[in-house]
Amino acid sequence: MKLWIGGAIFVAILMGITWMMAGGDIGANDTMGSLAMLGALATAVIAIFVSIKYVRQIQEEKAGGELADENWDGIGEYKNELPMGWAVLFLATTVWAVWYYLVGYPLNAYSQIGEYNEEVAIHDASFADKHANLDAQTLVKMGESVFIVQCSQCHGLAADGIDGKAANLNKRIEEKSVRHAIVNGANNLGYAAPMPDRNGLFNMNTGALITDAEIATVSKYVANGMKGAGEDVFQGTCAACHGSDGKGMEFVAPSIADFNPELVATVLKHGKKGVIGAMPAFDLLNEQQIKAVGAYVTSLSK
Amino acid sequence: MFHWLEKHPFFFAVAVFVTIAFAGLVEILPNFAEASRPTIGTKPYSTLELAGRHVYIKNSCNACHSQLIRPFKSETDRYGAYSLSGEYAYDRPFLWGSKRTGPDLMRIGNVRTTDWHENHMWDPAGVVPGSIMPAYRWMFANEADVDTAYAEQVTVNKVFNVPYNKPIPMKDGSTETVPMAASLDAAKAEALADAKVIVADMKNQDVKDMVASGKIPEIVALIAYLNSLK
Repeated sequence: MKLWIGGAIFVAILMGITWMMAGGDIGANDTMGSLAMLGALATAVIAIFVSIKYVRQIQEEKAGGELADENWDGIGEYKNELPMGWAVLFLATTVWAVWYYLVGYPLNAYSQIGEYNEEVAIHDASFADKHANLDAQTLVKMGESVFIVQCSQCHGLAADGIDGKAANLNKRIEEKSVRHAIVNGANNLGYAAPMPDRNGLFNMNTGALITDAEIATVSKYVANGMKGAGEDVFQGTCAACHGSDGKGMEFVAPSIADFNPELVATVLKHGKKGVIGAMPAFDLLNEQQIKAVGAYVTSLSK
Repeated sequence: MFHWLEKHPFFFAVAVFVTIAFAGLVEILPNFAEASRPTIGTKPYSTLELAGRHVYIKNSCNACHSQLIRPFKSETDRYGAYSLSGEYAYDRPFLWGSKRTGPDLMRIGNVRTTDWHENHMWDPAGVVPGSIMPAYRWMFANEADVDTAYAEQVTVNKVFNVPYNKPIPMKDGSTETVPMAASLDAAKAEALADAKVIVADMKNQDVKDMVASGKIPEIVALIAYLNSLK
C-alpha cells in the first residue's frame, strides 16, 4: 500500500515539474500542448506503476514447478512451457526468414543500376510518346536545341564553324574540303566503296586523270552550290557517283549539293575526318534527336 | 572443444573474432575482387598518356572536372555511359573529383577531338561562349615530363602487375597490347612517335616545331590523355 501511495506522489511530482517547465507555454486553445501533457501523464503513470508491479512481484512471489535435471553449480531451472505468443512469433519469424533469404532479398533487392534502367525506360517511353508525330517546324526547333547543347562547342552557336575551327554548316561544303576530298580521297561515311584519291579519278570528257586546273575549277563549282564554271568537269568526273545533280546516290555516295537529314544522320553515326579536323561520332543521341539535328542542319542552308 | 572454449574467455573471444572475420571475408572479398577487376576494354595508360595525366593533375584539372558519371539519366545524356569501378583499375590515384565547375571528362574522348582540345586549351571562350575556364597557353610551350611517366609505368608494372606488353581483351572480342619500353630512351622514342600522330591533327606551328625537334609539349601529352578517356 505504501508503494502505491509513494508511486502516486512521484507521478504528481513528475507532472508538477513538467508543468513548471512547459505549462506556461500552453495556451487555452493549444490542443497539441494539452495532448503532449496527457501523453506525459500516461508515460509517467505507466512507467511508475509497471515498476511497482514488478517490485511487488520480487518481494512477494515465489517460483515453483518441476526442476529440470541439469544443475549448474547449484543453480537449477524450472521446466516451463514456452509462452504461446513467443512461440508463434518465433515460428513466424523463421518462416519469414526462409522466404527473405531465398526469395525476398535476392529478387527484390535494391539496385542503383536497376533504378537507373527503370528511370531510362520510363523517360524513353514518354519521350517517344511525346515526340512521335512532330511537324517539320517543331523538329527543326528540337534539332536547334540539341545542336546548341551537343554541336555548338565546335560548329558555333550560329553553325558557322567559329572561324574555320569546324565545318560551316550554313553552306554544304567549302572549297578546301572539296579539294581535300578529291586529292586525298575520302571514306568517312561507311560506304562500301571509298572515294578514290586523285589517282583514281578520271575525267571522262578528256579520258585522263583529273588535273590540277580541273580540281581547282570543280572545287569552286561544288563549293559554289553547283553553279558557275566547272560543270563539264563535274559531269565528267564526279557525276558517276554523286549524280549529275550532285545529290548523291543511295549506298554509293553522299549528296554534295545540299544537306539532307540522312546525310547528317550518317555523319553523326560515323563521325568524319577532313581537312578541317576530326569529328567524333555522337552515339549518345537517340534516333529522334538525330532526325531533329538532321532537319535543323538541312534547314540552315535552305 | 566448445566446453573448453566456454571455460577460457580469452580464447573464446578470439574464436568469435575469427568466426565473424571469416564470414566477413567470404561475403565481402569475392564481390570486391569482382568489382575492382578491370572491365573489358580498359587499357593501361601509354607513356605519353601517363605524362598527360601528370599534366592534368599538375594543373588541378580535377578541381573543376570530375571523372565519375553517376547512373542518372541526366548524367548519361550529357556525358555518356555511367562509370564502372573496374574502369579505374589503372588509375593511381583515381581522379573522380569532388566538384563539377566544368563538365565531367570521364568519356570526353568520345565527343571531342585533338583539334578541338587545341583550340579550347588556347582560348576556351573562343569555342564555348561564356566559358569561365582559364586558358592554359603555357602547356603549348612547357615540355612534358616523360621520365616520370616512364618511371610510373615501370613501378606499377612491377608492383601492381599492370599488364603492359600483354594482350588485353577489348569489347569487340579482339585484343590490344599497350607497350612498355625496355629502357628510358626507348620510352622517349615511343612517346615521341605517339606525339607525332597527335600533332599531325594540330595546327599550332610552335607545337609542331617542338615535336619535330624531338620535344613533347605538355599540350600534346594532355591531349593524348584526354583522347584516351573513353
